[in-house]
Amino acid sequence: MFDHVEAFHRPRSIPEAVRLLRLKGRGARVVAGGTDVIVQADREIRALVDITGLGLDYIRKNGDGWAIGATATMSSVANSAAMRAFAAGIIAAAAATCGSVQLRNMATVGGNLANASPAADLAIPLLALDATAVAAGERGRRGMPLADFFTGPGKTSLDGRLLVEVLIPLPPRGRTGWSFQKLGRTEVDISLVSLAAGLQLDAKGRVKFARIAMGAVGPMPLRARAAEQTLAGHALDENLIGAAAAAAAREAQPISDLRASAEYRRDMCGALTARALRECARQAGCSL
Amino acid sequence: MNTMEIHLQVNGESKRWSIAPGDLLLDVLRREGYFGVKRGCERGECGACTVLLDGKAVNACLMFAAQADGREILTIEGLAQGDRLDPLQEAFLDHGAVQCGFCAPGMLLNARALLMSNPDPTEDEVRDALSGNMCRCTGYVKPVEAVLAAARAYRRRSKAARTGGAR
Repeated sequence: MFDHVEAFHRPRSIPEAVRLLRLKGRGARVVAGGTDVIVQADREIRALVDITGLGLDYIRKNGDGWAIGATATMSSVANSAAMRAFAAGIIAAAAATCGSVQLRNMATVGGNLANASPAADLAIPLLALDATAVAAGERGRRGMPLADFFTGPGKTSLDGRLLVEVLIPLPPRGRTGWSFQKLGRTEVDISLVSLAAGLQLDAKGRVKFARIAMGAVGPMPLRARAAEQTLAGHALDENLIGAAAAAAAREAQPISDLRASAEYRRDMCGALTARALRECARQAGCSL
Repeated sequence: MNTMEIHLQVNGESKRWSIAPGDLLLDVLRREGYFGVKRGCERGECGACTVLLDGKAVNACLMFAAQADGREILTIEGLAQGDRLDPLQEAFLDHGAVQCGFCAPGMLLNARALLMSNPDPTEDEVRDALSGNMCRCTGYVKPVEAVLAAARAYRRRSKAARTGGAR
C-alpha cells in the first residue's frame, strides 16, 4: 500500500520538520499517530515525516488558558485531570468519544484537526471555546482562529506549514455552563452529529455569552452564529432554547450519506442544541 | 527499494529488523512470524491486530513499523509465562469466552492493558474498552465476565505478592 514511500524521517526539531516538509513538497506527509494517513492510503506519498520526536505531546497552562501540543494523544486528553475539569470537561469528553481505546492511544489532537474531517470530534468543543491553531513555517509561527483553520472537507489553511499546538483561552467565568453532545450509531462510530455549547448568564439570567459549534453537518466543523445571536441578551428559558435550536438546525448544511440522511442530521442538530443548552443552564444554576 | 533498520523489543526479546520505510507494523510482525497478530479490517475498526506498544493497546494495522523503533511490543505470543497461562487466558478458557478465536488475541491484549491501568474496572469500563474489538461469535457476555474474573485473579495475585504469600 505504501510501496512508493522512499523515506521515513524523524526530525528532532520543528525547523528541521518544516524544512523537510518544504523540501519534499506534495510527496511528503506528516505522521503523528498515523491512523488517518494509513486509512487514506494515498499512493502519492514519497516521504513520511514523523513529528512525535518534537516534544509536542504536552497539555499545559498557557497564561490563563491552556495549550495542547499537536502530538498529544486523544487518550492523554481524555484522561487529563486538567482537561476533565476545564470548561466542564467538554474537550476531554470529545476526546473520549473518538473511536476505540486502541485508536485513542494513537490518534493525536493535531491529526484530528489537520485531517479536517467535517466530523472531527475534538474540533467541536475547541471551536466553541474560541481556540487558536498555531502553525510553524519557515518564517516562524502564526496563530489563526480555529474557525479560519478549516476551509473545506479535508482542507485547512495550513498550506505546507506544520500545526504545532492549539491554544485555548480562559472562557468567561461566573454563571457558566458547557456541554458536549455526540450522536453516533455505535460506541466507536464516526459522529452523525456532534455539538458543543457554552453559556454565560448575568445576574438576571440573561445570556451574556453564547457559543454553539457543530460537527458532521457541513463541509467543515461550523459555528452556529445565528443561533448564538438568537440567545445573546435574552433571558434564558425554554422558548429561547427552542428558538436557538431551530436557528442551529437552519444553519446546518448537512448531506445524506451512508450514516444518516440530511433531514435526520438537521433535526438532530436542533435536538442536540436544545439538550446542550439545557445542560449549560443547569450548570449555570438557571432553573428554566 | 530503500530499507531502514529498526531496533525494538518484542515479547521481551531484542530485535533488529530491516524494513521498508512504508511498511506497516502489522505486515512486519506477521512476516516475522507473530501470527497471533491477526489481519482483519486493516482500518482500525475490528481490533484483531491489537498489540501492546509500551503497555498501551494499539492497532498494528494503523502504524508504520518505523514508528515502533525503540519501543516495546507485546503480542499474544508473549502473554503466557512459558507453559503458565496468564490469568486472563485462564479466565477466557474457564468462561468459554473463545469461540472462533479470531478476535481473542486482540481482545486479551486490550483487556490486559485495561487491567494494568485499572485493576478494578466496572462492567461498563470493560465493555467500553472491548468496544475496540469486534467479536461476531460471543455477543461479548462471556468475554466481559472473563475480564472481570481475571481482574479479581490479578488483584489476588498482586495481594499475595505484596504479603509474600504463596500463589
